Amino acid sequence: MVVLEKNEVLSIAEKTVQVAVAKGASEAEAYVYEGYASTVGIVLGQVNKTDQLIDRGIGVRVVVNKAVGFAYTNIVNDQNTIKDIAARALSAAKASKSDIDWKGFTQKKNYLSSLDGTFDRKIFEISSDELVMLSHNMLNSAAKVDKTVLAAEGGVGKAYFSNAIVNSNGVYGFDKGTFIECSLATLAKNGNKVTPVCFEFNAARNYKIDPAWVGKEAARLSVSALKTKSIKTQTTSLILTQFALQDLLSYTLINAVKADNVQRGQSPFKGKIGEKVVSESLTIYDDGLYPNGVKTGLFDDEGIPHQKTLIIDKGVLQNFLYDNYTAKKEGKESTGNAVRAGYLSTPIIDTTNFHIIPGAASTDDMIQQVDDGLLVYYLQGAHSSNPVSGEFSVVATPVWKIKNGEIVFASRDVMLAGNIFEILKNVKIVGNNERQVGRLIAPWVMVENVRVIGK
Amino acid sequence: MYLQQVLLKVIETATQKYGACYAEVRAQKLYKTMFTLKEARVEAAKQGIEHGVALRVLVNGAWGFASVGSFDGDILLSAVSNACVMAKTASLQLKNPIKLASANPVIDNVEVKSKKNPADIDMEDKINNLLQINKTIQTYDPRIKSCTVDYLDLTGSNFFVNSEGTNIHQDKMFVWSRVTASAESSGVFTFSREEVGSTFGYEVFDVQPPQVIGEIVAKRAIEQLSAKSLKGGKTPVVLGPNVVGVFVHEAFGHLAEADLALSGGVLLNAMGTKIGSDLVTFYDDGTVPGAFGSFKYDDEGVPAQKTLLIENGVVAGLMHNRETAYKFNFQSTGNARAEDFRVEPIIRMRNTYMAPRDYAFEELLEDVKFGYFFKSFRGGQANIDGTFQVGIQEGYEIVNGEIGVPVRNASISGNTLETLLNVDAVGKDFALDSGRCGKGQIAFTGDGGPSIRLSEVVVGGSA
Repeated sequence: MVVLEKNEVLSIAEKTVQVAVAKGASEAEAYVYEGYASTVGIVLGQVNKTDQLIDRGIGVRVVVNKAVGFAYTNIVNDQNTIKDIAARALSAAKASKSDIDWKGFTQKKNYLSSLDGTFDRKIFEISSDELVMLSHNMLNSAAKVDKTVLAAEGGVGKAYFSNAIVNSNGVYGFDKGTFIECSLATLAKNGNKVTPVCFEFNAARNYKIDPAWVGKEAARLSVSALKTKSIKTQTTSLILTQFALQDLLSYTLINAVKADNVQRGQSPFKGKIGEKVVSESLTIYDDGLYPNGVKTGLFDDEGIPHQKTLIIDKGVLQNFLYDNYTAKKEGKESTGNAVRAGYLSTPIIDTTNFHIIPGAASTDDMIQQVDDGLLVYYLQGAHSSNPVSGEFSVVATPVWKIKNGEIVFASRDVMLAGNIFEILKNVKIVGNNERQVGRLIAPWVMVENVRVIGK
Repeated sequence: MYLQQVLLKVIETATQKYGACYAEVRAQKLYKTMFTLKEARVEAAKQGIEHGVALRVLVNGAWGFASVGSFDGDILLSAVSNACVMAKTASLQLKNPIKLASANPVIDNVEVKSKKNPADIDMEDKINNLLQINKTIQTYDPRIKSCTVDYLDLTGSNFFVNSEGTNIHQDKMFVWSRVTASAESSGVFTFSREEVGSTFGYEVFDVQPPQVIGEIVAKRAIEQLSAKSLKGGKTPVVLGPNVVGVFVHEAFGHLAEADLALSGGVLLNAMGTKIGSDLVTFYDDGTVPGAFGSFKYDDEGVPAQKTLLIENGVVAGLMHNRETAYKFNFQSTGNARAEDFRVEPIIRMRNTYMAPRDYAFEELLEDVKFGYFFKSFRGGQANIDGTFQVGIQEGYEIVNGEIGVPVRNASISGNTLETLLNVDAVGKDFALDSGRCGKGQIAFTGDGGPSIRLSEVVVGGSA
């Protein structure tokens, strides 16, 4: 594959900014993205499809009379489209309204020359034959676990991406990266009995994935969920794995620490900096520089250098996540949390790598310390949580019952309900087994006093 | 004309040079206008132009898919060659080669005639029109803390050509908006959401005027401030059309997608089996004029239709694309949809709804001594084994057949195969709401039905 070189990507961004300013923008910012992805897919236990995506485009943000306009296009080779897109951004700004809180784009920043572990030439060079081979390894390893296992869906994919951000204040940055992922969704089927879907994956910025482990682990979880017993309605302890934590926190805690939600009065953490908001066993950073992190990079999508921001220190709220706009509104510096969905969108505030610092307990220790509780992997309906109050009412399926320090059986159709902010006050044990799932890097966490609705 | 020739050349290359037994291309030009209003502020007014081609080939029984953001002939020919080579590599250990059910070739040109084409309306007018929503919400009550309005209109052209002689041009037309508000009072936080969508055009805001949408959202956020948490457990419930729509979509619709049924889902061998009460009849219908999930041809060039899924409690059909239809010795139902040229078509719902019967709303309530009336949903999710969850953003107690006090943050869950048997009364009212469904990619859908009563269901609550 032929990718755009650093100077080409930067030059497209620079020209776009120049054209926008020449056409009358008081400020302009261009974001250029290029991505190549190649995936081999598994459906119903066999490798039978391949995907290739080549995507590149420009997003340009301009300011006229303190009103912000944005336009994007994926036609980047044509000088006329750059002019057209700048004109469209200007007309959008003119259709918009002046914002008295607008205080300009990011000022010029210096970046590290590169970050270790975000670009791996080996990923860049993997052939499709190799992706097919990795997929077969994963499938074979799942099939070996038990004959009831069905690999419903999955695959192995690799990606290369680069982006440049340039603005009329002198911001001028380029970064590139690689990514590889393998995943498998399995279920076990025995006669008429079908388990819920279980899922495992590996994702990395360098060529370190273990498809055989992924296949084996997904299959192991499925088979262990074949025989189920029902659970009574009760208030009990939960061990939340990274999958469950990511689901529960994404729609609640993470919203609460975004500065725009705080400024707009839709965060329960408003005015609580310096106060204890969760259990003192929790320390949380947002870390855009975390080695090999999925969201690690030199700078955010407005050109602010990535940093490590302390959000919660031993339970005490320390800071919120800012982009350029919300930071300037409070006379602060952005924390580097402006995130775009590629070239098609304007930046919004989001986490980079949201890192819950691990504790000392091994997973075995954690299970041994539970007299009566549940081990929770997969949740259904976490996105229906109340994003402001933190209240949720979700299904956990399958889920594993722990009795006297041992996993005793699986169950399904168990509902969990409560308020995530109350539950995070009841964290008793933080595990030592951290891993990254989406934007979250966390270990298992044990919490107490959660309402469980069974049969 | 030039683009047509390029697309035909791509197909010819796949079939003649690389031995593909089937090839298709989908070329799109898309124009989007978007903005986000936060309180009285316009966060950013946005416009976008995209073009690109999705191509898909079937070589030795394996799919090769490629997406390219270009109409350039050389780039497309190189992409189709790669796709054929990759598909061939993937097919090497294939035991069950993919085959497609036959479909009649179609040549057609489908133009959308909006009363109000969003492409003809100034962005400034759209912004001013939707700012009325924010104004309505913010002036409704001082306890309102924030409101956000997202707006999108998408217009453009879709060209579909395949190696069997199908050649279709269809206009694209979607207008969508989501409105959210939050309220707070003495430490209690509430959140309220509403969505509107149409494939007719901007005239959707004449049917659902901004002030009306704003008032619905604001009223719910304020009312929820005094709502009480509920106790979890099994109770009778009455569901309004908005909740029934998402219940049909999540609890049954996903299971009736033939790809998920094949993945071990509970409906795999259920055709003709009675799984619901006599009152349960569901459709997935791509032909409802102007509805958010309607279109004339799907992304495999197959005409959309009204598909019967359950009739009087008996499973009557699944939703198919050409690949799954072949496995069931059936015809595609026209459910293959792709979000845009970046992704492959997969089986998606269109407008999924329950057929109304004869109960008045009051009659649904009157036999309930204690239960809940759930009027509006907030999210829902399905699992292949039949477990569903639907979150509720607006609900009330039912006490002795009367609607009582509001309850907060409830959800219902259960297993579809048990729950559909518990439908014991179905109303004569009907509404179809616009929604968006995620299955790796987003599809615009309609979900709806009448009000119904379930004799019992598990309700999740934290009290």
